[in-house]
Amino acid sequence: MAPVERSDAQVVRDVLSGDRDAYRLLVRRYGEVLHGHALRMTNSPDEAADLVQRALVKGYRKLSTCREPERVGAWLFRILANLCKDHVRSPRRADVSMTRLAGALRSGSDPEADAEGAEIRTKVWGALDALTPEQREAFVLKHVEGRTYEEIAAVMDLSVAALKMRVHRAREALRGLLEEYA
Amino acid sequence: MNDDIHRHLDGEIPADALSEEGRREAGDWDRMLASFHREGPTGAAPAWLEDKVMAQIDALPERGPLGRFVDWMVNPAPVRVSPLAAGLVAAGVALLIALPARSPAPEGPGPTAEPEPVEVVYVQFLLEAPMATSVAVAGDFNGWEPSFVLADPDGDGIWSGRVPVSPGVHAYMFVVDETEWRTDPNAAGYQDDGFGNRNAVLAVGTSG
Repeated sequence: MAPVERSDAQVVRDVLSGDRDAYRLLVRRYGEVLHGHALRMTNSPDEAADLVQRALVKGYRKLSTCREPERVGAWLFRILANLCKDHVRSPRRADVSMTRLAGALRSGSDPEADAEGAEIRTKVWGALDALTPEQREAFVLKHVEGRTYEEIAAVMDLSVAALKMRVHRAREALRGLLEEYA
Repeated sequence: MNDDIHRHLDGEIPADALSEEGRREAGDWDRMLASFHREGPTGAAPAWLEDKVMAQIDALPERGPLGRFVDWMVNPAPVRVSPLAAGLVAAGVALLIALPARSPAPEGPGPTAEPEPVEVVYVQFLLEAPMATSVAVAGDFNGWEPSFVLADPDGDGIWSGRVPVSPGVHAYMFVVDETEWRTDPNAAGYQDDGFGNRNAVLAVGTSG
């Protein structure tokens, strides 16, 4: 018989009871999802890994404040999302983001296509830097990660109406890019 | 930007419901949004992530009973009171208010009675407000002045603090950035404030 997997709520209880190694289960369950979001918010694998690491350690330190242990994944996501927004907002990061962009993105093997692709990628993903961190987060969750408004609202603790407004404003801000695709 | 385009991109109406110009713009949006998927950054989390996180956690000091008490002082769980308990406390408070009215007033000057010590219970308030620069609590227990300031020492957007409150049922609000009055989303109960907003309600029992 396959071993019964511990629920998130049980893992949280075990960690708070002193079994700190149980936290490894949460790192395994949510590390990839957190990393994917951080990568799309920063466009930098190094920065994404650093932010996820900080979020997970902070999550451990603050675990006793997690009010819904059965939704600890969403709670960790909120910690990471806040770190990402602060990071995107930091002036030092804005200075280097564009120069780092092309290298951080996926590249192909054809040099000519690669150069053209890099140009498109720089335009498309660089345009996200024009958005506020909140608009960028909402846009990425909706249109890049493909989540529903209801899912995002539940994770981010916002109303669907407020989220829609952020996404709409992000689209308005990105509308200039449409000329490239017309 | 046309509202119908937003509604289409939100999945509320099909492209067929758009005007010809709208369908053209929707097509442009579809191509652009597809490029975000196609050209987006990809890659798995680094293999070292799990071990590095656990190594940092292992390096943290062990939390003994004293540490857990300190944890509670700094980040205690919010106080939650069931509606039944709130009702009992409210009834108790009403009784306490009613009882002295039936007692005969002392005649003539007597020895000055020592004032009864006012009992207070320290209640943990907690609000998640990552964008805030300050958060305070105002309620009927402090004259609706935002005098109890919450703290967020590690900057994770979770503001907390312990506030002395007398036993009873109290209404309160958070004041974010000194201007925005915000209802506690995790309150035990709510009541209309008469101005179209909702106050959070807290029931505090005696500590004895």
